[in-house]
Amino acid sequence: MSIIEFHKTSKHFGDLKVLDEVDLAIEEGEVVVLIGPSGSGKSTLLRCINGLEQITGGDLIVDGISVRAGGRKLRQIRQEAGMVFQQFNLFPQMTALQNVAFGPRKVRGLSRAEAESQALLLLEKVGLKERAHHVPSALSGGQQQRVAIARALAVRPKVMLFDEPTSALDPELKQEVLNVMRQLAQEGMTMVVVTHEMSFARQVGSRLIFMEHGKISVDGHPAEVIANPPSDRLRDFLQHVE
Amino acid sequence: MEVDWSVVPGFLPQLAAGARVTILIALAGLIGGTILGLIAGLMRAYGGRVINAIAFVYIELIRGTPIVVQVMFLYFAMPILLGIRMDPMSAAILAIVVNAGAYIAEIVRGAFLSIPRGLTEAGLAMGLPQWKVLTHIVGPLAFRRLIPPLGNQFIVSLKDTSLFIVIGVGELTRTGQEIMASNFRAVEIWTAVAVLYLIMTGTLTFILRVIEKRMRIL
Repeated sequence: MSIIEFHKTSKHFGDLKVLDEVDLAIEEGEVVVLIGPSGSGKSTLLRCINGLEQITGGDLIVDGISVRAGGRKLRQIRQEAGMVFQQFNLFPQMTALQNVAFGPRKVRGLSRAEAESQALLLLEKVGLKERAHHVPSALSGGQQQRVAIARALAVRPKVMLFDEPTSALDPELKQEVLNVMRQLAQEGMTMVVVTHEMSFARQVGSRLIFMEHGKISVDGHPAEVIANPPSDRLRDFLQHVE
Repeated sequence: MEVDWSVVPGFLPQLAAGARVTILIALAGLIGGTILGLIAGLMRAYGGRVINAIAFVYIELIRGTPIVVQVMFLYFAMPILLGIRMDPMSAAILAIVVNAGAYIAEIVRGAFLSIPRGLTEAGLAMGLPQWKVLTHIVGPLAFRRLIPPLGNQFIVSLKDTSLFIVIGVGELTRTGQEIMASNFRAVEIWTAVAVLYLIMTGTLTFILRVIEKRMRIL
Protein backbone atom coordinates (compact mmCIF):
# COMPACT_ATOMS: atom_id res chain seq x y z
CA MET A 1 0.00 0.00 0.00
CA SER A 2 1.29 3.43 -0.91
CA ILE A 3 1.36 6.13 1.71
CA ILE A 4 -0.56 8.56 -0.53
CA GLU A 5 -2.97 7.36 -3.21
CA PHE A 6 -4.93 9.61 -5.55
CA HIS A 7 -7.78 7.76 -7.25
CA LYS A 8 -9.30 9.84 -10.06
CA THR A 9 -9.14 12.77 -7.67
CA SER A 10 -10.85 15.95 -8.85
CA LYS A 11 -11.15 19.40 -7.31
CA HIS A 12 -13.50 22.09 -8.56
CA PHE A 13 -13.75 25.69 -7.42
CA GLY A 14 -17.24 26.42 -8.69
CA ASP A 15 -17.08 25.77 -12.42
CA LEU A 16 -13.31 25.82 -12.46
CA LYS A 17 -11.70 22.38 -12.59
CA VAL A 18 -8.37 22.67 -10.77
CA LEU A 19 -7.62 18.94 -10.47
CA ASP A 20 -8.88 16.70 -13.24
CA GLU A 21 -9.14 13.02 -12.28
CA VAL A 22 -5.59 12.71 -11.02
CA ASP A 23 -4.20 9.20 -10.44
CA LEU A 24 -1.02 9.11 -8.43
CA ALA A 25 0.62 6.87 -5.85
CA ILE A 26 3.44 8.07 -3.64
CA GLU A 27 5.58 5.52 -1.79
CA GLU A 28 7.24 5.88 1.58
CA GLY A 29 10.69 7.44 1.32
CA GLU A 30 10.03 9.17 -1.99
CA VAL A 31 10.89 12.82 -2.47
CA VAL A 32 8.34 13.99 -5.02
CA VAL A 33 8.92 17.40 -6.57
CA LEU A 34 5.85 19.03 -8.09
CA ILE A 35 6.40 21.68 -10.73
CA GLY A 36 4.18 23.44 -13.21
CA PRO A 37 2.96 26.83 -14.36
CA SER A 38 0.81 28.84 -11.95
CA GLY A 39 -2.77 27.65 -11.98
CA SER A 40 -1.74 24.14 -13.03
CA GLY A 41 -3.06 22.72 -9.75
CA LYS A 42 0.20 21.77 -8.02
CA SER A 43 -0.51 23.64 -4.77
CA THR A 44 -4.10 22.43 -4.77
CA LEU A 45 -2.91 18.86 -5.21
CA LEU A 46 -0.65 19.29 -2.19
CA ARG A 47 -3.37 20.94 -0.09
CA CYS A 48 -5.83 18.14 -0.85
CA ILE A 49 -3.49 15.63 0.79
CA ASN A 50 -4.11 17.10 4.26
CA GLY A 51 -7.64 18.24 3.54
CA LEU A 52 -6.98 21.99 3.54
CA GLU A 53 -8.81 21.77 0.23
CA GLN A 54 -11.73 19.36 0.01
CA ILE A 55 -11.70 17.07 -2.97
CA THR A 56 -14.86 17.15 -5.08
CA GLY A 57 -14.45 13.92 -7.03
CA GLY A 58 -12.75 10.54 -6.77
CA ASP A 59 -10.89 9.57 -3.62
CA LEU A 60 -7.60 10.30 -1.89
CA ILE A 61 -6.16 7.89 0.66
CA VAL A 62 -3.40 8.97 3.04
CA ASP A 63 -1.80 6.31 5.25
CA GLY A 64 -4.87 4.13 4.77
CA ILE A 65 -7.43 6.82 5.60
CA SER A 66 -9.65 8.63 3.07
CA VAL A 67 -9.55 12.41 3.27
CA ARG A 68 -13.30 12.23 2.72
CA ALA A 69 -13.76 10.69 6.19
CA GLY A 70 -13.57 14.15 7.79
CA GLY A 71 -13.61 14.97 11.52
CA ARG A 72 -11.31 12.92 13.72
CA LYS A 73 -10.05 10.80 10.80
CA LEU A 74 -9.02 13.88 8.87
CA ARG A 75 -7.21 15.23 11.93
CA GLN A 76 -5.40 11.89 12.13
CA ILE A 77 -4.23 12.36 8.53
CA ARG A 78 -3.09 15.87 9.35
CA GLN A 79 -0.98 14.59 12.23
CA GLU A 80 0.73 12.22 9.80
CA ALA A 81 1.26 14.90 7.14
CA GLY A 82 3.15 17.97 8.34
CA MET A 83 2.92 21.07 6.20
CA VAL A 84 5.30 23.95 5.50
CA PHE A 85 3.82 27.06 3.91
CA GLN A 86 5.18 29.70 1.56
CA GLN A 87 4.39 32.42 4.11
CA PHE A 88 5.82 30.46 7.10
CA ASN A 89 2.65 31.13 9.16
CA LEU A 90 4.43 31.00 12.50
CA PHE A 91 2.23 31.97 15.45
CA PRO A 92 3.37 35.55 16.13
CA GLN A 93 2.46 35.61 19.82
CA MET A 94 4.77 32.67 20.59
CA THR A 95 8.55 32.29 20.66
CA ALA A 96 10.27 29.90 18.25
CA LEU A 97 10.37 27.29 21.01
CA GLN A 98 6.68 27.72 21.85
CA ASN A 99 5.79 27.45 18.17
CA VAL A 100 7.61 24.13 17.89
CA ALA A 101 6.31 22.80 21.23
CA PHE A 102 2.73 23.83 20.45
CA GLY A 103 1.75 20.88 18.26
CA PRO A 104 3.09 18.16 20.56
CA ARG A 105 1.33 19.78 23.53
CA LYS A 106 -2.05 20.40 21.94
CA VAL A 107 -2.20 17.54 19.45
CA ARG A 108 -0.13 14.77 21.01
CA GLY A 109 -0.92 15.77 24.60
CA LEU A 110 2.67 16.06 25.85
CA SER A 111 3.49 18.06 28.98
CA ARG A 112 5.03 21.47 28.49
CA ALA A 113 8.43 20.30 29.80
CA GLU A 114 8.50 17.26 27.53
CA ALA A 115 7.32 19.19 24.51
CA GLU A 116 9.84 21.97 25.05
CA SER A 117 12.81 19.68 25.53
CA GLN A 118 11.88 17.92 22.25
CA ALA A 119 11.33 21.27 20.58
CA LEU A 120 14.80 22.38 21.59
CA LEU A 121 16.32 19.31 19.91
CA LEU A 122 14.38 20.06 16.72
CA LEU A 123 15.50 23.69 16.77
CA GLU A 124 19.06 22.44 17.16
CA LYS A 125 18.54 20.19 14.17
CA VAL A 126 17.52 23.16 12.01
CA GLY A 127 20.41 25.19 13.43
CA LEU A 128 18.37 27.61 15.56
CA LYS A 129 18.91 26.47 19.12
CA GLU A 130 20.25 29.88 20.14
CA ARG A 131 17.20 31.60 18.63
CA ALA A 132 14.73 29.49 20.65
CA HIS A 133 13.43 32.38 22.71
CA HIS A 134 13.00 34.87 19.88
CA VAL A 135 9.55 35.72 18.55
CA PRO A 136 9.04 35.23 14.79
CA SER A 137 9.19 38.96 14.02
CA ALA A 138 12.75 39.00 15.40
CA LEU A 139 13.87 36.27 12.98
CA SER A 140 14.84 36.46 9.32
CA GLY A 141 12.63 34.83 6.70
CA GLY A 142 14.98 31.88 6.35
CA GLN A 143 15.08 31.39 10.10
CA GLN A 144 11.30 31.62 10.32
CA GLN A 145 10.92 28.96 7.66
CA ARG A 146 13.37 26.66 9.46
CA VAL A 147 11.33 27.11 12.66
CA ALA A 148 8.23 26.27 10.61
CA ILE A 149 9.87 23.05 9.41
CA ALA A 150 10.78 22.17 13.01
CA ARG A 151 7.20 22.94 14.06
CA ALA A 152 5.81 20.57 11.44
CA LEU A 153 8.32 17.84 12.38
CA ALA A 154 7.45 18.16 16.06
CA VAL A 155 4.10 16.43 15.53
CA ARG A 156 6.12 13.45 14.19
CA PRO A 157 4.51 13.15 10.76
CA LYS A 158 5.20 10.35 8.29
CA VAL A 159 5.05 12.72 5.32
CA MET A 160 6.12 16.34 4.92
CA LEU A 161 4.29 18.62 2.50
CA PHE A 162 6.12 21.73 1.31
CA ASP A 163 4.12 24.44 -0.48
CA GLU A 164 6.67 26.68 -2.24
CA PRO A 165 8.79 26.87 0.93
CA THR A 166 11.45 29.18 -0.54
CA SER A 167 9.36 31.41 -2.82
CA ALA A 168 9.06 34.20 -0.25
CA LEU A 169 12.79 34.22 0.53
CA ASP A 170 15.76 36.19 -0.75
CA PRO A 171 18.18 34.05 -2.79
CA GLU A 172 20.81 33.89 -0.05
CA LEU A 173 18.24 32.76 2.52
CA LYS A 174 16.83 30.04 0.26
CA GLN A 175 19.90 27.84 0.68
CA GLU A 176 19.61 27.52 4.45
CA VAL A 177 16.04 26.26 4.06
CA LEU A 178 16.92 23.95 1.17
CA ASN A 179 19.81 22.52 3.20
CA VAL A 180 17.44 21.56 6.00
CA MET A 181 15.12 19.95 3.45
CA ARG A 182 18.03 18.08 1.88
CA GLN A 183 19.00 16.74 5.29
CA LEU A 184 15.42 15.57 5.90
CA ALA A 185 15.37 13.75 2.57
CA GLN A 186 18.65 12.01 3.43
CA GLU A 187 17.10 10.79 6.67
CA GLY A 188 14.45 9.05 4.60
CA MET A 189 11.48 11.37 5.19
CA THR A 190 8.72 11.06 2.61
CA MET A 191 8.35 14.51 1.05
CA VAL A 192 6.06 16.18 -1.46
CA VAL A 193 7.50 19.52 -2.50
CA VAL A 194 5.96 22.22 -4.68
CA THR A 195 8.88 24.36 -5.80
CA HIS A 196 10.63 26.18 -8.64
CA GLU A 197 14.07 25.21 -7.33
CA MET A 198 15.24 22.97 -10.17
CA SER A 199 18.64 22.30 -8.63
CA PHE A 200 16.90 20.98 -5.53
CA ALA A 201 14.64 18.84 -7.74
CA ARG A 202 17.63 17.41 -9.56
CA GLN A 203 19.84 16.77 -6.52
CA VAL A 204 17.32 15.77 -3.88
CA GLY A 205 14.16 14.68 -5.69
CA SER A 206 13.56 11.01 -6.40
CA ARG A 207 10.64 11.83 -8.67
CA LEU A 208 9.60 14.85 -10.69
CA ILE A 209 6.00 15.58 -11.61
CA PHE A 210 5.06 18.27 -14.11
CA MET A 211 1.45 19.44 -13.93
CA GLU A 212 -0.61 21.18 -16.57
CA HIS A 213 -4.30 22.12 -16.49
CA GLY A 214 -5.02 20.03 -13.39
CA LYS A 215 -3.43 16.89 -14.80
CA ILE A 216 -0.08 15.18 -14.39
CA SER A 217 1.58 15.54 -17.76
CA VAL A 218 5.07 14.23 -16.97
CA ASP A 219 6.11 11.87 -14.16
CA GLY A 220 9.67 10.59 -14.06
CA HIS A 221 13.13 10.65 -12.59
CA PRO A 222 14.25 14.27 -12.10
CA ALA A 223 17.68 14.09 -13.75
CA GLU A 224 16.32 12.22 -16.78
CA VAL A 225 13.26 14.38 -17.21
CA ILE A 226 15.25 17.60 -16.88
CA ALA A 227 17.99 16.41 -19.27
CA ASN A 228 15.48 15.09 -21.80
CA PRO A 229 12.09 16.80 -21.41
CA PRO A 230 9.50 14.46 -22.93
CA SER A 231 7.20 17.35 -23.91
CA ASP A 232 7.74 20.75 -25.56
CA ARG A 233 5.65 22.38 -22.86
CA LEU A 234 7.99 21.07 -20.15
CA ARG A 235 11.05 22.14 -22.15
CA ASP A 236 9.61 25.69 -22.36
CA PHE A 237 8.79 25.66 -18.68
CA LEU A 238 12.28 24.51 -17.65
CA GLN A 239 13.85 27.25 -19.75
CA HIS A 240 11.79 29.85 -17.92
CA VAL A 241 12.53 28.71 -14.38
CA GLU A 242 16.27 28.11 -14.80
CA MET B 1 -29.75 83.84 39.24
CA GLU B 2 -26.06 83.73 40.03
CA VAL B 3 -23.88 80.69 39.65
CA ASP B 4 -23.17 79.35 43.12
CA TRP B 5 -20.92 76.25 43.26
CA SER B 6 -21.43 75.92 47.01
CA VAL B 7 -24.77 74.17 46.38
CA VAL B 8 -23.05 71.22 44.72
CA PRO B 9 -21.47 69.47 47.76
CA GLY B 10 -24.86 69.19 49.41
CA PHE B 11 -26.19 67.16 46.49
CA LEU B 12 -23.10 65.01 46.03
CA PRO B 13 -24.36 62.01 48.05
CA GLN B 14 -27.52 61.97 45.92
CA LEU B 15 -25.52 62.31 42.69
CA ALA B 16 -23.08 59.62 43.82
CA ALA B 17 -26.02 57.28 44.41
CA GLY B 18 -27.17 57.99 40.85
CA ALA B 19 -23.66 57.37 39.54
CA ARG B 20 -23.64 54.04 41.37
CA VAL B 21 -26.80 52.99 39.54
CA THR B 22 -25.22 54.08 36.25
CA ILE B 23 -22.12 51.98 36.99
CA LEU B 24 -24.22 48.99 37.98
CA ILE B 25 -26.27 49.10 34.75
CA ALA B 26 -23.17 49.63 32.61
CA LEU B 27 -21.15 46.91 34.34
CA ALA B 28 -23.86 44.25 34.28
CA GLY B 29 -24.97 45.28 30.81
CA LEU B 30 -21.47 45.24 29.36
CA ILE B 31 -20.52 41.88 30.88
CA GLY B 32 -23.66 40.40 29.34
CA GLY B 33 -23.19 42.36 26.13
CA THR B 34 -19.61 41.17 25.72
CA ILE B 35 -20.64 37.54 26.16
CA LEU B 36 -23.59 37.95 23.76
CA GLY B 37 -21.42 39.88 21.30
CA LEU B 38 -18.73 37.21 21.40
CA ILE B 39 -21.28 34.50 20.63
CA ALA B 40 -23.05 36.48 17.89
CA GLY B 41 -19.75 37.63 16.38
CA LEU B 42 -18.38 34.08 16.20
CA MET B 43 -21.69 32.91 14.73
CA ARG B 44 -21.27 35.55 12.03
CA ALA B 45 -17.63 34.72 11.39
CA TYR B 46 -17.72 30.93 11.48
CA GLY B 47 -21.35 29.80 11.44
CA GLY B 48 -23.06 28.02 8.60
CA ARG B 49 -25.70 29.78 6.55
CA VAL B 50 -28.53 29.46 9.09
CA ILE B 51 -26.48 30.34 12.17
CA ASN B 52 -24.95 33.27 10.34
CA ALA B 53 -28.41 34.51 9.28
CA ILE B 54 -29.76 34.37 12.84
CA ALA B 55 -26.87 36.50 14.11
CA PHE B 56 -27.18 38.84 11.14
CA VAL B 57 -30.88 39.49 11.76
CA TYR B 58 -30.25 40.19 15.44
CA ILE B 59 -27.43 42.62 14.68
CA GLU B 60 -29.35 44.47 11.98
CA LEU B 61 -32.47 44.70 14.14
CA ILE B 62 -30.53 46.32 16.96
CA ARG B 63 -28.26 48.53 14.89
CA GLY B 64 -31.23 49.72 12.86
CA THR B 65 -33.30 50.97 15.81
CA PRO B 66 -32.56 53.58 18.50
CA ILE B 67 -31.71 52.32 21.98
CA VAL B 68 -34.56 54.42 23.46
CA VAL B 69 -37.04 52.52 21.29
CA GLN B 70 -35.41 49.24 22.33
CA VAL B 71 -35.74 49.92 26.05
CA MET B 72 -39.30 51.24 25.62
CA PHE B 73 -40.10 48.02 23.79
CA LEU B 74 -38.57 45.88 26.54
CA TYR B 75 -40.30 47.81 29.30
CA PHE B 76 -43.72 48.62 27.83
CA ALA B 77 -44.31 46.22 24.92
CA MET B 78 -42.93 42.96 26.32
CA PRO B 79 -45.55 42.75 29.12
CA ILE B 80 -48.32 43.01 26.51
CA LEU B 81 -46.70 40.75 23.90
CA LEU B 82 -45.29 37.98 26.08
CA GLY B 83 -46.62 38.77 29.51
CA ILE B 84 -43.05 39.36 30.71
CA ARG B 85 -43.02 42.24 33.15
CA MET B 86 -39.73 43.54 34.45
CA ASP B 87 -38.63 46.34 36.74
CA PRO B 88 -36.96 49.39 35.16
CA MET B 89 -33.53 48.33 36.36
CA SER B 90 -33.74 44.91 34.67
CA ALA B 91 -35.08 46.47 31.50
CA ALA B 92 -32.18 48.93 31.49
CA ILE B 93 -29.54 46.22 31.97
CA LEU B 94 -31.15 44.01 29.35
CA ALA B 95 -31.27 46.92 26.91
CA ILE B 96 -27.51 47.46 27.29
CA VAL B 97 -26.83 43.73 26.93
CA VAL B 98 -28.84 43.47 23.74
CA ASN B 99 -27.68 46.79 22.29
CA ALA B 100 -23.97 46.54 23.11
CA GLY B 101 -24.04 42.86 22.12
CA ALA B 102 -24.93 43.75 18.54
CA TYR B 103 -22.14 46.28 18.14
CA ILE B 104 -19.62 44.08 19.94
CA ALA B 105 -20.59 41.20 17.64
CA GLU B 106 -19.38 43.20 14.66
CA ILE B 107 -16.19 44.16 16.51
CA VAL B 108 -15.55 40.50 17.33
CA ARG B 109 -16.26 39.36 13.78
CA GLY B 110 -13.91 41.99 12.37
CA ALA B 111 -11.12 41.14 14.80
CA PHE B 112 -11.29 37.39 14.20
CA LEU B 113 -11.50 37.73 10.43
CA SER B 114 -8.54 40.12 10.40
CA ILE B 115 -6.20 37.35 11.60
CA PRO B 116 -4.40 35.93 8.54
CA ARG B 117 -6.00 32.78 7.19
CA GLY B 118 -2.56 31.13 7.03
CA LEU B 119 -2.35 30.91 10.84
CA THR B 120 -5.63 29.00 10.97
CA GLU B 121 -4.34 26.70 8.24
CA ALA B 122 -1.09 26.14 10.12
CA GLY B 123 -3.09 25.10 13.18
CA LEU B 124 -5.46 22.86 11.22
CA ALA B 125 -2.54 21.29 9.32
CA MET B 126 -1.11 20.07 12.65
CA GLY B 127 -4.31 18.18 13.29
CA LEU B 128 -5.93 20.59 15.73
CA PRO B 129 -9.72 20.76 15.75
CA GLN B 130 -11.20 24.09 14.63
CA TRP B 131 -12.23 25.11 18.16
CA LYS B 132 -8.69 24.66 19.47
CA VAL B 133 -7.38 26.78 16.60
CA LEU B 134 -9.83 29.48 17.68
CA THR B 135 -9.09 29.32 21.40
CA HIS B 136 -5.30 28.88 21.19
CA ILE B 137 -4.20 30.69 18.05
CA VAL B 138 -6.75 33.04 16.50
CA GLY B 139 -8.52 34.03 19.74
CA PRO B 140 -5.48 35.41 21.60
CA LEU B 141 -4.43 37.39 18.50
CA ALA B 142 -7.95 38.68 17.83
CA PHE B 143 -8.30 39.71 21.47
CA ARG B 144 -5.44 42.17 21.11
CA ARG B 145 -7.11 43.79 18.12
CA LEU B 146 -10.43 43.79 19.94
CA ILE B 147 -9.41 46.03 22.80
CA PRO B 148 -9.42 49.51 21.20
CA PRO B 149 -12.85 49.25 19.50
CA LEU B 150 -14.25 47.36 22.49
CA GLY B 151 -13.17 50.20 24.77
CA ASN B 152 -14.92 52.62 22.49
CA GLN B 153 -18.14 50.60 22.70
CA PHE B 154 -17.88 50.40 26.50
CA ILE B 155 -17.75 54.19 26.69
CA VAL B 156 -20.68 54.60 24.29
CA SER B 157 -22.77 52.10 26.27
CA LEU B 158 -21.89 53.72 29.59
CA LYS B 159 -23.19 57.04 28.30
CA ASP B 160 -26.23 55.38 26.71
CA THR B 161 -27.44 54.50 30.22
CA SER B 162 -28.46 58.17 30.53
CA LEU B 163 -31.25 57.46 28.03
CA PHE B 164 -32.95 55.18 30.56
CA ILE B 165 -34.31 58.36 32.09
CA VAL B 166 -37.31 57.53 29.84
CA ILE B 167 -38.30 54.49 31.91
CA GLY B 168 -37.55 56.15 35.23
CA VAL B 169 -34.38 54.39 36.29
CA GLY B 170 -32.71 56.43 39.04
CA GLU B 171 -29.33 56.65 37.32
CA LEU B 172 -27.07 59.69 37.23
CA THR B 173 -28.85 61.76 34.58
CA ARG B 174 -32.27 61.19 36.13
CA THR B 175 -30.89 62.10 39.55
CA GLY B 176 -29.54 65.34 38.09
CA GLN B 177 -32.92 66.03 36.51
CA GLU B 178 -34.70 65.48 39.82
CA ILE B 179 -32.39 67.82 41.72
CA MET B 180 -32.78 70.41 38.96
CA ALA B 181 -36.55 70.28 39.23
CA SER B 182 -36.37 71.28 42.88
CA ASN B 183 -33.78 74.06 42.78
CA PHE B 184 -33.26 75.14 39.13
CA ARG B 185 -29.46 75.20 39.56
CA ALA B 186 -28.92 74.16 35.93
CA VAL B 187 -25.28 75.25 35.54
CA GLU B 188 -24.06 73.78 38.80
CA ILE B 189 -25.96 70.48 38.66
CA TRP B 190 -25.38 69.67 34.99
CA THR B 191 -21.70 70.55 35.37
CA ALA B 192 -21.47 68.18 38.32
CA VAL B 193 -23.28 65.46 36.36
CA ALA B 194 -20.98 65.95 33.38
CA VAL B 195 -17.89 65.77 35.59
CA LEU B 196 -19.11 62.54 37.15
CA TYR B 197 -19.59 61.01 33.68
CA LEU B 198 -16.11 62.19 32.72
CA ILE B 199 -14.64 60.53 35.79
CA MET B 200 -16.33 57.25 34.85
CA THR B 201 -15.36 57.31 31.18
CA GLY B 202 -11.88 58.54 32.11
CA THR B 203 -11.40 55.58 34.43
CA LEU B 204 -12.48 53.23 31.63
CA THR B 205 -10.06 54.85 29.20
CA PHE B 206 -7.25 54.53 31.72
CA ILE B 207 -7.93 50.83 32.37
CA LEU B 208 -8.03 50.12 28.64
CA ARG B 209 -4.79 51.96 28.06
CA VAL B 210 -3.07 49.88 30.74
CA ILE B 211 -4.34 46.65 29.18
CA GLU B 212 -3.28 47.81 25.72
CA LYS B 213 0.20 48.71 26.92
CA ARG B 214 0.64 45.32 28.49
CA MET B 215 -0.40 43.51 25.33
CA ARG B 216 1.43 44.30 22.16
CA ILE B 217 -0.79 44.34 19.10
CA LEU B 218 0.66 41.64 16.85
